[in-house]
Amino acid sequence: MSATRSLYLVARYRAWSIRLPRRQFVATLACAAALLALALAALCLGDTRVAPPDLWRALTGQAPGWLNFLIGQIRLPRLLAALLVGAALGVAGLMLQTLARNRLASPDMMGINDGASFAMALTLLWSPAGLLGPWWLALTGALVTVLLILVAAGGIGSQGYRVVVVGLALANLLKAGFDLVLATLPAMHSGGLFVFSVGSLLGRGYAVALPAALGLLLLLGMLLPWVRTLGMLGLSDDLARGLGVRLPRVQLAALLIAAAMAGLAVSVAGPIGFVAIAAPIVARALAGPASLPLAAAGLMGAFMVLAADTLGRLVAAPVEIPAGVVTGMLGGPFLLWVLLGQRGRRA
Amino acid sequence: MNLHVEGLKADYRERPVLTGVDLVIASGEVVAIVGANGCGKSTLLRSMARLHRPAAGRVLVDGEDLWAMRPGDAARRVGLLPQFPQAPAGITVEALVGFGRYPYQGLFRQWSREDEAAVAQALRETDMLDHAARPLERLSGGQRQRAWLAMVLAQQTPILMLDEPTSMLDLGHQVEVLRLVRGLATAGRTVVMVLHDLAAAARYADTLVALHDGKVLAHGAPRSVVTAQRVRTLYGIDAHVIAAPDDGAPVVVPVVA
Repeated sequence: MSATRSLYLVARYRAWSIRLPRRQFVATLACAAALLALALAALCLGDTRVAPPDLWRALTGQAPGWLNFLIGQIRLPRLLAALLVGAALGVAGLMLQTLARNRLASPDMMGINDGASFAMALTLLWSPAGLLGPWWLALTGALVTVLLILVAAGGIGSQGYRVVVVGLALANLLKAGFDLVLATLPAMHSGGLFVFSVGSLLGRGYAVALPAALGLLLLLGMLLPWVRTLGMLGLSDDLARGLGVRLPRVQLAALLIAAAMAGLAVSVAGPIGFVAIAAPIVARALAGPASLPLAAAGLMGAFMVLAADTLGRLVAAPVEIPAGVVTGMLGGPFLLWVLLGQRGRRA
Repeated sequence: MNLHVEGLKADYRERPVLTGVDLVIASGEVVAIVGANGCGKSTLLRSMARLHRPAAGRVLVDGEDLWAMRPGDAARRVGLLPQFPQAPAGITVEALVGFGRYPYQGLFRQWSREDEAAVAQALRETDMLDHAARPLERLSGGQRQRAWLAMVLAQQTPILMLDEPTSMLDLGHQVEVLRLVRGLATAGRTVVMVLHDLAAAARYADTLVALHDGKVLAHGAPRSVVTAQRVRTLYGIDAHVIAAPDDGAPVVVPVVA
């Protein structure tokens, strides 16, 4: 059937087959290309501008020592951290939006980021040196938040709707908890926590980026077996169950993996807002309705965080604007545009 | 494939809705479940389609307990079209019908030649080939319902369960859909549907199951099931039951008050 060939790309070998919506494939490639271009620009631009040939030499270790250090030890790890944070937020956001069938469902809205931040903040109360806790604390905070949401909502419930509403309520409580910690800390420690709470990639190196990379890979691996089933969640619950989807189980797995990803992102860069909402919306718009563009959402998230971080570094140099502030300034209007612009199109 | 329902009891919000239903449905039959609002029609269908867990009793497909199967195995035996199905916004008919292949797919079995053939076959059977590339939202009510039927057909189950497949349609589209459903049964499938329109049920089903107070009040050919007395029991109204001029199917005409 020729219509099938136009909508999907299919590769078959014996009993195995892989199918990808053609438009999603193109969208993913486009996102990857845009991200690559941005990454190269981000490595070149800054207080010290690096010409592309010098960048190449630095990446291959043939540049003078200071340049090797600037690119290899400062800009590259920070870039890596930005990509990881963005990818984790983009994928987590897409999963939550799919789960709740609501474009406003995201780790920021549902209190997952707040739970992760709160867990990090709590560690400061017991740290005389004013050091933020290790990365896995944010992840734990995110997971505990999701469990709290599930308990309070009495399970996933129909259509994933209740989970979002309960999360919304819980988010405020957790924000208040975070602010309480911020208010009780000595001034010399609260400054660091404040920067964290805005979401920033300042000074992130391999020590942060490498464990996060490993964690993200692990989570993506855990996600893989669920991808096919997640694609079914666009159907109403009865339909999905009628087709043999194990409904509460899929939703639970997706919710936990999404929360862990968001927690991971928060542990690296603090709660950078809006990316988890905006990246999946853009990815979906590019990839078309018949697909679950996980890769495109991840790439788009990475693009957004990297763009925000790079802009923040450049716009008011030598002062740095934290990435979370940039995403907030651009994300607010974007969200308004999406919500108001789609009003006419929705039935 | 035969469908047996044995001693089925089901509760809805902790209130008993079905209080002991026994049914034998033969292969290739078109069965309509009728009854008043709230009599348990939908609950019965949902129990048979694994959407509503019964409090007691069994649903057997060729002797196998449907509720004891793995979800995927059950989904290859019984297909379901709920009353208000929802699909992702903007989806095309072809992509929608492709969802029906889920029970046959796996992580690295995403789109086999069988999947492709089943989708094409389902589109052909519902006469939707020409609309395959159109978004669902742009279709007329009847076409949209045919697209949903195609999705369930692509599931290639011997048994189809349809919950009020004509409830949102005007008379023309109702007839269009019910004729299609009859055609599906001639191809060897068993169709069980909930219809609240008694006239349409009597006209297009081989067998009627009249539910009343959580039990089967009558079960059989429309002519034997639809009597003035039963209409009174089921719906609490006085009505004449007359024979359709062509095939003698019962037609219910309420008495003028």
